[in-house]
Amino acid sequence: MESLTHPPGSTAPWQLLAGYQPRGHVHDELVAPGGELRPHYDTFVRSLEALGRHELASRWENAKRTIRDNGVTYNVYGDPEGVDRPWTLDMIPLVVPSSEWSRLEAALVQRARLLNSILADLYGPQRLLHERHMPAPLVFGNPGFLRSCHGIAVPRGIHLHLHAVDLARSPDGQWWVLADRTQAPSGAGYTLENRIVLSRSLPEAFRDCQVQRLASFFWAQRDTLTALAPSPRDTPRVVLLTPGPLNETYFEHAYLARYLGFTLVEGGDLTVRDRRVFIKTLDGLQPVDVIVRRLDDSYCDPLELRADSTLGIAGLVDAARAGNVTMANALGSGAIETAAISRFLPGLCRTLLGEELRLPSVPTRWCGEPGDLQIVLEHLDQMVIKRTFPPVSGQPIFGRTLTPLQRAALVSEIRAHPGEFVGQDEVPLSTAPVWNGQKLESRSLVLRMYVAAAGDSYAVMPGGLTRIAVSGEVPIVSMQRGGGSKDTWVLTDGPVSPMSLLAPPTIRIHRERRSGDLPSRVADNLFWLGRYAERVEHSVRLLRSVVARLADEDASDVTPERTALVRVLVALELLPAGLRDPLSARDVEQELLASLFRPGPGSRMRETLEDLRRIASTVRDRLSIDTWRILNQLRQDFLLRRGRIQVDDALLHLDRMITDLAAFSGMEMENMTRGHGWRFLDIGRRLERAANMSTLLTQSLSTGTAHHAMLGPLLEIADSTMTYRRRYFAQPQLPLVLDLLVADATNARSMAFQVAQLADHVDHLPRDQRAPSPAQEQQIVTHMAEAIASADLDAQGQPDEHGSFAELHGLLLTISDDLRRLSDVVTYYYFSHAEVRVS
Amino acid sequence: MSADVSPVTYDIVHATRYSYSESVSVSHHLARLSPRSLPHQSCLQHTLDVEPAAAVLSTHADYFGNDATFFAMQGAHRGLTVTSRSCVSVRPRVPPQASATLPWEQAGDHGSLPLDAIEALFDSASLRAAPEFVAYARPSFPAGRPLLEAVADLTARIFEDFTFDPDATTVATSLTDVFRLRRGVCQDFTRFEIACLRELGIPALYVSGYLETAPPPGMPRRVGADASHAWLSFHCPSVGWIDVDPTNNLFPSTGHVTLARGLDYSDVSPIRGVILGGGQHTLQVSVDVVRASA
Repeated sequence: MESLTHPPGSTAPWQLLAGYQPRGHVHDELVAPGGELRPHYDTFVRSLEALGRHELASRWENAKRTIRDNGVTYNVYGDPEGVDRPWTLDMIPLVVPSSEWSRLEAALVQRARLLNSILADLYGPQRLLHERHMPAPLVFGNPGFLRSCHGIAVPRGIHLHLHAVDLARSPDGQWWVLADRTQAPSGAGYTLENRIVLSRSLPEAFRDCQVQRLASFFWAQRDTLTALAPSPRDTPRVVLLTPGPLNETYFEHAYLARYLGFTLVEGGDLTVRDRRVFIKTLDGLQPVDVIVRRLDDSYCDPLELRADSTLGIAGLVDAARAGNVTMANALGSGAIETAAISRFLPGLCRTLLGEELRLPSVPTRWCGEPGDLQIVLEHLDQMVIKRTFPPVSGQPIFGRTLTPLQRAALVSEIRAHPGEFVGQDEVPLSTAPVWNGQKLESRSLVLRMYVAAAGDSYAVMPGGLTRIAVSGEVPIVSMQRGGGSKDTWVLTDGPVSPMSLLAPPTIRIHRERRSGDLPSRVADNLFWLGRYAERVEHSVRLLRSVVARLADEDASDVTPERTALVRVLVALELLPAGLRDPLSARDVEQELLASLFRPGPGSRMRETLEDLRRIASTVRDRLSIDTWRILNQLRQDFLLRRGRIQVDDALLHLDRMITDLAAFSGMEMENMTRGHGWRFLDIGRRLERAANMSTLLTQSLSTGTAHHAMLGPLLEIADSTMTYRRRYFAQPQLPLVLDLLVADATNARSMAFQVAQLADHVDHLPRDQRAPSPAQEQQIVTHMAEAIASADLDAQGQPDEHGSFAELHGLLLTISDDLRRLSDVVTYYYFSHAEVRVS
Repeated sequence: MSADVSPVTYDIVHATRYSYSESVSVSHHLARLSPRSLPHQSCLQHTLDVEPAAAVLSTHADYFGNDATFFAMQGAHRGLTVTSRSCVSVRPRVPPQASATLPWEQAGDHGSLPLDAIEALFDSASLRAAPEFVAYARPSFPAGRPLLEAVADLTARIFEDFTFDPDATTVATSLTDVFRLRRGVCQDFTRFEIACLRELGIPALYVSGYLETAPPPGMPRRVGADASHAWLSFHCPSVGWIDVDPTNNLFPSTGHVTLARGLDYSDVSPIRGVILGGGQHTLQVSVDVVRASA
């Protein structure tokens, strides 16, 4: 970083715009062609200059950290490294003056009304086709036109609940529509997160600029959706249907569900009974009134739509046909998500609304029209070629970038199937400044705006997702290609509505949390989250016990404790199989530390951490931001390993991981509502802890291990050293250690303690009245408790004539088996066969 | 070609039995087992029995005008029997004079076609023509040949060139494979001919239905008579829809009973279902189509 010309506190003026060079031939959002600042940026620029460059740089770093810590991510398909890629937000918002926004607002409301009318016609009388206002092939050739959804009446005639429009500004300052999204538009959640981060990062500028708030848009959307419940009930249940954690925008599905108070569900969480949709919860089936879908409609029902869909809900189309569920957007809304529609909108607007279209689309030709085909082929160099129908494979093709060979191939493909291609004039995109940490650079942008059904009309989000090109040279804007984003600030003339993002106003619907809204799948995932968290903690504690001994002493100074520990850890597959003490210094670094921390296969620790992360991401909407931040920190503390790995450094990181894990279980104990979700998380944790203790004791007492040498480490791993010392003031002895780790119900790490906790949990699980009592899971837990209580640990702690502990092994084996059965029974009754339990 | 002259009334029993190796708790089904009423066909009576009793049963007219019945099973069951009983009267159909039909090139003129015929020009996801299909079909379509004559010729060639073989294909077999094997069943031949016609610009629909199980003495027993059958319908300008059966190389008349019409098999499949659990399942289908005693 170059040195700062003006250190903090200096009064010398800093020119934010100094050195900013727009490209000249396109519209720049910040500066006019004469080089002067556009007036609507004036307040913002002055506010930033008052902050100073040093402060801006520091806030930029903070903003980036917030995004990373909050786990704002965007998954990139087909890129293993791209899963959970951090979202990128620029510090300079796109500023839109209120007069300009008002014009856009009116135009976008008209556009949403128009598209909704088109959908109503296509899925109804099809007058537009009979009277040839719209070419039939555009509909009939479109796989997005879902014939089984034809004739389904939608509440209040709303097919289109959320509509997104991508806008570009041409050199003359005119906005053009590049594309309409009518299927399941994404990005509104990222827009919200952008706003929260940026308004916190630049509170002075945000206040000075009088920026319109976004919250009212979301509340209006939520109220409208809630009001569309087919049958009037006190508290209609609205769910957000996601394809799952692998979807590119899963982050915002979880984020929006949490923000709007909707339950996040996958297809498998829902079921249709009596032509109604229900959510499968631990408390039985609960009716669902409205489904906000982020799943493409053709995947929504394997019975009537794509038969190969495993993401959908059998019978959903029929439930909609019966009028028992409201889909948002309506099933079939993807039929008009085609670039070709733009070509016909001006005429359709006159026909359907009797109005002139207020906002033009980029000049669009559909090659299915012979005249259009001719124009596209003749002007290929000035065109962007897109596929007409979904699935839209690949990116748009820029005619001017083609080699003669590619061009010829494209032309022959277009000629063979003209109806499948659309040509749009290439708009030289406008540019906006992007803060690169030191100065402003100019980048191309596309603005995505959102329109939502609100009451009897539509409301436009006063803001939007501004997406910017990945580099200054390439004017292609694509999140999949790694472009960034900006917040969009719409200015007001009058005072800003005080509605805040963080303190929602009192609203009509009840916001009380139904404990019953825990989908069985989520309970399953929480159970495994508990298990994996405990498994990670156990592994870290074991590894730390070895690494601590390497740090304490000279590596060549072999102790029986260390030898025994290495042997046990190898048996537990936490250390490489070939490892044997005594370890050479080279072994320590190459084998032990490297296998722990370096990327690559074979690290059990790394695999368990990945499992933990994966399972946590599936229940993201159930975890607080703080919890998520702790999990991110845990990952950082494990991954931050570069260059040579030193023993003391490794120890430091393992210590930090222990602290992170303690923070995680602290959040769980102190901050989670004591509902079924918490219970399953804790069942997972207790079950895993007891199982780990059983396995560790078994390994420590197996023949070939000097069991005396393991007693100290056992107490240490079980965090019970202090208790032991306080009680006995003596060297560890096996019977006393066993009492503390197995039978002492006051020791939070003992097996008896875990079993007691499990007993309490299983007594509180929801249970079918008709099920036999006590339930199987209660019987298993009782069996374990009795086995532990009746064991004579004094006797079992003495080796028999063969020098082994056969009886003790028998006890540990019994408990391990019981724990495994408990896990199976819980899985069987509560997770996989949830519907068996409900009537 | 058919020599029928007077209407024929059939009693039809179509039974579908699923047996599951494990209990099924919930299943959803969609049946198109109600014979359509058409200009040449009247459905006099129709009942659909589901055993054990369905928790939900509801019928609606689908996009193509077929009756579609949605039903759901909500209690644990190990088997399911769906029995459709219908009484249908079929009047004779005589195709127009082949030489009097318009040249085939005019069949796909969007400007003059009704909307349902335009729609029948479009492929579905699984019914897509490959270039070699058109190369195969071309010889039947020399320039200016009357449409009906050309289609009859293509139908006859498919009948000659393709071998009826129930073991060669499944519902999942692609048309390209059917063409390569030159083998299959009525569904395969029907879809292949539809793909050829659409690629040549001739609107064509998929038709599901039945053949008479045991024809009167002296009449040949048709192929595919002991199960549900499939054939196609193509649109002929100024005439309308004309059915043709490539499996038996004929223009259907009173020997064919129409169940449903659609763009592809998936639009008309007599019964489909999504089942939760059930392990292995076996399926038995029986179809009886007999002349009603006068």
